[in-house]
Amino acid sequence: MDRDLAARRQLHTTIFDHCYSPCGKYIAAANNYGQIAVFSLSAALAPEASETTWKPIFIFEASEDGAIFTLASTDTLLISGGNGPIKAWKWADILSKVNHLTKMVAMAKNRTQGGPFSQPEINSIVLNTEEDKSEVFAACGDNNIYVWDLESGQQKITLSGHDNYVHSLAVKNGNTCASASEDGTVKIWDTRSPSDAVHSIEPYKNELCARPKFGKWLGCVAMDTTDDWLVCGGGPSLSLWHLRSLTATTMFDTPGACQQCVMFHDDSIISAGSKGYINHWSVNGEQRMEVPCTPSSVFSLSYNSASNNCKVLSATGNSSKLDIFTNFGYKAFSFIFTQV
Amino acid sequence: MSSKDHHEVEVKRKRSLKKESSPTRGAGDVKRSKSSTNDVKLFYAEEEEVEHRDPKKDLSLFKSTTDDVRKCFKDIRDSKDKPDKSTNDHIETKKRETALHFVLLKKLNRLSHIRCKKSRDATNEAKQRIDQYHLQLQNLLYETMHLEKEITKCLEFNMLSYDEWSKDEEIELVSVEEFYEEAPSDISKPETTKEDQHQLRLARLDWELEQRKMLAQKLKESETSKDQLDKEIKTQQEYLENLQPKLTSILQSTKPVQEYLGMPFDQIREQHQIAGHLPHPLYVLYMQTDAYRQACDKKLEVKIEGDIEAAKSMKSTPELFADKRRRKTIDSGKVERKKKVLKKHPLSVVLKIKTKDGTCLQLNFYYLVTLEIVTVVMQLKSGSESPSSCISWGDLLSPDLLLNEIYPGDNGNSSPNAANQYELRRLGLGEFNQYIKETGKPYLWAQWLSGLQFLNNNKSSKVADSSVSSENMQQTIKRLRRRIKSRLSLLKQLASLERGIIPLAPEAMSLFPTKIVAKLASWKRSTYEDFCVLPYTEELISNGLAKESDIFFTATMDRGSAKMTAQIVMTPDYPAVAPLFLVSLQWQTERSALNDINIQEMEEEVNVHYKEMIIHKSHDQILANQLQRLLMCFDVYLETETQNAEEGPKEISKEKVYARFARGPNRTKPYKFCAEVGIFSHR
Repeated sequence: MDRDLAARRQLHTTIFDHCYSPCGKYIAAANNYGQIAVFSLSAALAPEASETTWKPIFIFEASEDGAIFTLASTDTLLISGGNGPIKAWKWADILSKVNHLTKMVAMAKNRTQGGPFSQPEINSIVLNTEEDKSEVFAACGDNNIYVWDLESGQQKITLSGHDNYVHSLAVKNGNTCASASEDGTVKIWDTRSPSDAVHSIEPYKNELCARPKFGKWLGCVAMDTTDDWLVCGGGPSLSLWHLRSLTATTMFDTPGACQQCVMFHDDSIISAGSKGYINHWSVNGEQRMEVPCTPSSVFSLSYNSASNNCKVLSATGNSSKLDIFTNFGYKAFSFIFTQV
Repeated sequence: MSSKDHHEVEVKRKRSLKKESSPTRGAGDVKRSKSSTNDVKLFYAEEEEVEHRDPKKDLSLFKSTTDDVRKCFKDIRDSKDKPDKSTNDHIETKKRETALHFVLLKKLNRLSHIRCKKSRDATNEAKQRIDQYHLQLQNLLYETMHLEKEITKCLEFNMLSYDEWSKDEEIELVSVEEFYEEAPSDISKPETTKEDQHQLRLARLDWELEQRKMLAQKLKESETSKDQLDKEIKTQQEYLENLQPKLTSILQSTKPVQEYLGMPFDQIREQHQIAGHLPHPLYVLYMQTDAYRQACDKKLEVKIEGDIEAAKSMKSTPELFADKRRRKTIDSGKVERKKKVLKKHPLSVVLKIKTKDGTCLQLNFYYLVTLEIVTVVMQLKSGSESPSSCISWGDLLSPDLLLNEIYPGDNGNSSPNAANQYELRRLGLGEFNQYIKETGKPYLWAQWLSGLQFLNNNKSSKVADSSVSSENMQQTIKRLRRRIKSRLSLLKQLASLERGIIPLAPEAMSLFPTKIVAKLASWKRSTYEDFCVLPYTEELISNGLAKESDIFFTATMDRGSAKMTAQIVMTPDYPAVAPLFLVSLQWQTERSALNDINIQEMEEEVNVHYKEMIIHKSHDQILANQLQRLLMCFDVYLETETQNAEEGPKEISKEKVYARFARGPNRTKPYKFCAEVGIFSHR
């Protein structure tokens, strides 16, 4: 019976997020049961690699409160957020296969607005390490964005103003933060004056990208590091916005699919969502590629630039498989988040 | 010698002859006549002379002489070529010189001839001597060979003669010391035998004979006493046999008393007597179940049925029977062959398992004589409380499904004895599962209960081992009971489901809200083939979570225009393993786990988190609870999905209290019901 249950759990595994180790040789992936699995990317990419390298080298129970929605990695720490508190582990401990919790930041429960029984979840964590700061930005279920100092564990700033929970965050130049929310808006914040949002974008009101039948929620946001471009999507189509003029310039059409993750890569935009494809776009809206992947709903995309030998694109979603793309055009292989 | 030299020599001779012939003839004649008397003497003198002379010196002398001769000739010629006054004298002197030389040469010649002869004689003499020695050697060799032959002949004779002539040596005699100790002195006669080996032997043989005679007499005596004892035993046996009918008549007379007192000793004895005719595996089965019945489970009933006479005759001539069968299989037809191979033992063990509500599971265990396996035929007699007829009734209680996978993977379709496969193939009968209808099913647990253990790697112990049986007895009976109980409770649930009512137990009510708008519209049996056709089942089948041996159902639920179809996979082991649900939803569009993650989460609610729905550790209600949960989730899905859409008239009204509509990156729906406060929240 237990084996049967393990098979069922594996069938219903969703990997919400994954991230690379600072050395770029390992991938950590977190699932809906609160487990984190570590895979060895360098072993799987080795020329003599066999299918056994697709299995996790280490699995540990990271959360007693259920799903982990987001992972982030610093030079030394792996940080997770989801149901329950933010937790951090040392990469060194994880790679020596020890589950030793280094830090834990509990959410203040009295801030909850979502309801008496619903703990505010953390939907996204972004690290801000510019200007010698080490801050953790967390997009939470109580409609707020919290900023913690990673060293001291002190909560520094609260950005509040959304009417529904916050899905996704993007941080740029140390001070600018963009947040995409279930309420259909992207708000641009300046952390130096946190009391109010600087701008607010409402794609569901924009003719170019609004799609009423999918609702107004926004699941993903990303900002270009050099120019003033922002891309966001969700119920409304994925769209590119010019930050200074706050106008939508391009719409990336994905009929029937809501985009749930997006990233800038070189001169292109990569996005994925509620269909089992990874879309590669050029900035002018032209679709360059549509690459099939294992999950039918993708929650996380990531590009590994830390290790020269392991430059790969990876995607996870509602499947126990973590897809690896060595070449952007097709899936090379999948790591498998096994249930024991 | 070259031809020129030869020529010269010839010339010399002619000249010397000429020279001799004219002036010296007279002198020579005189000399010859003078010396004719002394010839012989001289001859021998020369011979003697040879002895004293050195041949080498003679050779050099000969050479110098010939040189001198040559010189003389040369001088003569020279002087002839240049004649002067003194020439003639000179020639004359030279001639004389030469003649003298010739004499010397002649002498030397003779000597050499004598020498030659002498050495030849010496050689001959030596050769003769050698020949003589050789002959002598040959004679000696022949003599040794002859002697050797004689020796071997003698030896062979010795060996041959031993067998033929020394028979007495084979007789084992007592040792000499023993002989002197035991034998009386008139036989041993120590005074003569001590010295004479032959006499000793004769005496010992005499003693042996004497002893043997004595032993023979003893044997005769013993035999007579034995005959006497035999006679005695016979008379006593006759007496005992006469006793038997008396005893049986006494027993017969006690029967009414037994019946009156309710003590079925006789019946048991009869059964035990029949049990003696059971084949060994069935005997083990009978013995162990009977023991288990007496010790642990009074509601079991074990009986032996069948033709005792046939069993008796079979037991008495098992060899003959086997022989006949083998011979016939070669020439008889396929039907007859099949009959022989699948032959059951005439006796069978009947095991009845009764439950509290009066349902009775009757298992007939048969033993296939040739294939050496035990098969089971099942009958179910429903009790008073059994549910009224429904479509799934007979099917689910048929032997196929009821006894399927009592132990995991044990479906009773193939023979556990791997040797059977070869036997059947050899006889051209194909696979065993074709004959299951005739023989019954050879479940593994039936073999275990009969003490037969066939291992996967064909290491089988065909000798029934009762320890195997006792080890598995309790668990198997328990599993059988649990299976009947759970199957009956399942049937009740199914009967209710077919009427569109989800049979919730009262204690399970608290798990669900009081008002659920969605309704169960239909409940049907489905098949594996229908299940496989559906597009969203592929992953389940490839993961081994849905197998052909499972039981499949299709349920439809609806609310307004929305219709949900659930495919249910139930293992034969239900409710130990919770049923698995696959959902597809028709509402505006066709939705399933493939294209809507919220549907996938709905499946997760019932498939993974089913443990929340087990109340008081009772698995029996799990199907109903899962269905109710699914209905509830269906409501939640529709109500929250409506909130998503912006405008327009809402078909589905919000009936429930939700903490939040969506949560997390996957915008999951509040499927979890908090019973204490009656609101829906997220997991």
